[in-house]
Amino acid sequence: MSIYIQSLSQISIQEPLCDTWFDNPIYYNERYVEVIEPNYKQYINPMSSRRMGKILKRAVTTSLETLKKGKKGNEIDAIITATGLGCVENTEKFLYSMLDNNETLLTPTYFIQSTHNTISSQIALELKCNNYNSTYVHRGISFDSALFDAYVQFILNKINNALVGAHDEMTKDMFALYDKIGYWKQGDVNKEILKQSDSIGSFSGEIASCFFLSNEKNNDSICSLDGMTILHKPTNERFEESLLSLLKENDLNLYDIDAVVVGYSGDKENDMVYTRLKSLFFEDTPFVWYKHLFGESFSMSAMGFYVGATCFKNNKIPNHLLLDTEKEIINPKHIIIYNHFQNQEHSLILLSKC
Amino acid sequence: MVLNDILVTAMGILTGLGLGKNETLQSLLNQKSAIGELKHLKTIHHELPVSEVRLSDEEMISLLNYDSTKPLTRTTLLGMLALKEALEEAKIHKDTPKRIAFISGTTVGGMDKNEDYYKEFFQNNSKDEYISLHDCAASTQAIADYFGGFDFITTISTACSSAANAVILGANLIKANLVDIAVVGGTECLSKFHLNGFNTLMILDKEPCKPFDKDRQGLNLGEGAAYIVLEKESSAKERNVKPICKLSGYANTCDAFHQTASSPNGEGAFLSMKRALEDSGLSINDIDYINAHGTGTGNNDSSEASAIKRVFGENIPYVSSTKSFTGHTTSAAGSVESVISILALKNNFIPANLNFKTPMEDVALVPVQKTIHLPNIKHIMTNSFGFGGNDSSCIFSKII
Repeated sequence: MSIYIQSLSQISIQEPLCDTWFDNPIYYNERYVEVIEPNYKQYINPMSSRRMGKILKRAVTTSLETLKKGKKGNEIDAIITATGLGCVENTEKFLYSMLDNNETLLTPTYFIQSTHNTISSQIALELKCNNYNSTYVHRGISFDSALFDAYVQFILNKINNALVGAHDEMTKDMFALYDKIGYWKQGDVNKEILKQSDSIGSFSGEIASCFFLSNEKNNDSICSLDGMTILHKPTNERFEESLLSLLKENDLNLYDIDAVVVGYSGDKENDMVYTRLKSLFFEDTPFVWYKHLFGESFSMSAMGFYVGATCFKNNKIPNHLLLDTEKEIINPKHIIIYNHFQNQEHSLILLSKC
Repeated sequence: MVLNDILVTAMGILTGLGLGKNETLQSLLNQKSAIGELKHLKTIHHELPVSEVRLSDEEMISLLNYDSTKPLTRTTLLGMLALKEALEEAKIHKDTPKRIAFISGTTVGGMDKNEDYYKEFFQNNSKDEYISLHDCAASTQAIADYFGGFDFITTISTACSSAANAVILGANLIKANLVDIAVVGGTECLSKFHLNGFNTLMILDKEPCKPFDKDRQGLNLGEGAAYIVLEKESSAKERNVKPICKLSGYANTCDAFHQTASSPNGEGAFLSMKRALEDSGLSINDIDYINAHGTGTGNNDSSEASAIKRVFGENIPYVSSTKSFTGHTTSAAGSVESVISILALKNNFIPANLNFKTPMEDVALVPVQKTIHLPNIKHIMTNSFGFGGNDSSCIFSKII
């Protein structure tokens, strides 16, 4: 069983729907950064567009763009979406209206588009796809869970392809609430401060990203997804056993890994877990980060996957992505994406050149 | 039994019908609905009947011996109590040496506390400990922490089919040998948010709901939680637990028609039932009973009945919607109704579809109106359909 990433697309705080960030990234010094919105007209007609919240527009657009690039005629067997917080904008509108008017004078518009699965359903509606459709909402491993669902179905031969997406918006309210409980840095934020990682919190980004996966290799195939695992509160032994068996199943050793893409975010408690992984298994392997470019949000680990794949697409890992070395890596063959959420959920993904 | 069969080895349930399988079974057999006036939810809408879990948050905390100083949502408490029953029956504890997945479906999450404290969050710091509890994963995380021992946990939210999709992921993970045991289901408490949301859609009946009746006026919301334990025969044998039945087939499809309405011919529902049958290798004549989604809304029941007719033709099995007992337990409905279906399978009865009088005009489908006892029920299909057209069907079968 092989799985290939055929195409991918993103709308984020970097230039949308392109890979300009790969050579010319934008760096931010703010704690709260909103998406750079592309022109949606090309993807969504203005009538529908008016009815959609921001997150829906972004999700539909990245899905359509991904399929435009990667799909070759066949139908889509599974649409699987990750979203940590769902359609927050509409949820808040309905909530405020309910609280302000003491449960009276409510209209259904915002409620209809407030559930988490609105996103995956809207994509199915746009694509008229009656097949498998699901939504994962588990904080920092939302995306990893969605990808895992696709991975399992590929293993079982239940699907030949899958459209997997990760979408999270950050409203001002949500930013303020998560600010109260330590998610964002107090004071200045910039790349260097994030890298030093000597205080808690990161900076907030938003994300819409989408991947088309297939079990059929062709000229579009960017890289292969060779294996993955997600663990809940693993013991050291359990984690080590999983990492080594992931490598072993692919006839690889630790030293075959060219780079490890990690969710290093500038939050010292978060980053300690990555530093520990390095000291235990990857002392000489370069670490790649991405949250300094895309910010933090629940389904942001999708951008780790995105960054890993894009490095294969370009046959290099540029030095601005490297956390602890300066020299860009040419022609990487195997990359591990490692993501954890609050040191409770841990996910390992192996990508290889194909 | 086939080596790769997915067996159900335990289950736990908590709804308005009561705590545990026994109270649930007795209510079903005695045709005693839980739908009535609301007691716990602080809403102005007392005109709307609901099926609330009778226990208060405090009573649940005490049943669980939980440290009451830690903040908790009602969704979490419901889930903990239902899971406790399932894990005890399955003899699973935190040191069980197996790869155990916990997959929970929920949508409302911590909205019950969020809606009460939302304005305070911005005014002072007194309720800040609830901020991190409003998302869907918070309940899954707290439940997993309470019991311990899980190797993988995640949360699914496909609205009213969430728990059914947890069942499907769990079964797939076992088949792919990525876990040994999957504890799957869903939990959801009532919240003002979704009570008002459904109310604005004008799909809430002011009387007890009448699924599949010509004069049905809508659904009644319910709350609850249910989990089932899935594993292969080898694992069950090794652990010395007796299987209850098997999960013989399942499918997840999407209606792709409208965000809140089902297509008139029930395309998504048709496909989910048809594909679940294909997955099980069973024929339409093998299914003894369909535990319908049957919410009691004009739209769902017509659409589902059309889909049932399209799949089963003229030989429709017994059909009933047990939402006339439990109300619509939304994200938990898939596992609540799986447990009800398994109880029916095990005890050889078809639960009634209460309050039915007159067949619908567009698609006449006459559900079972009184508990029927049969000599041997072999296969039961249960449907769970959600907003966004997220449709799933599961088939449970006796082990022969």
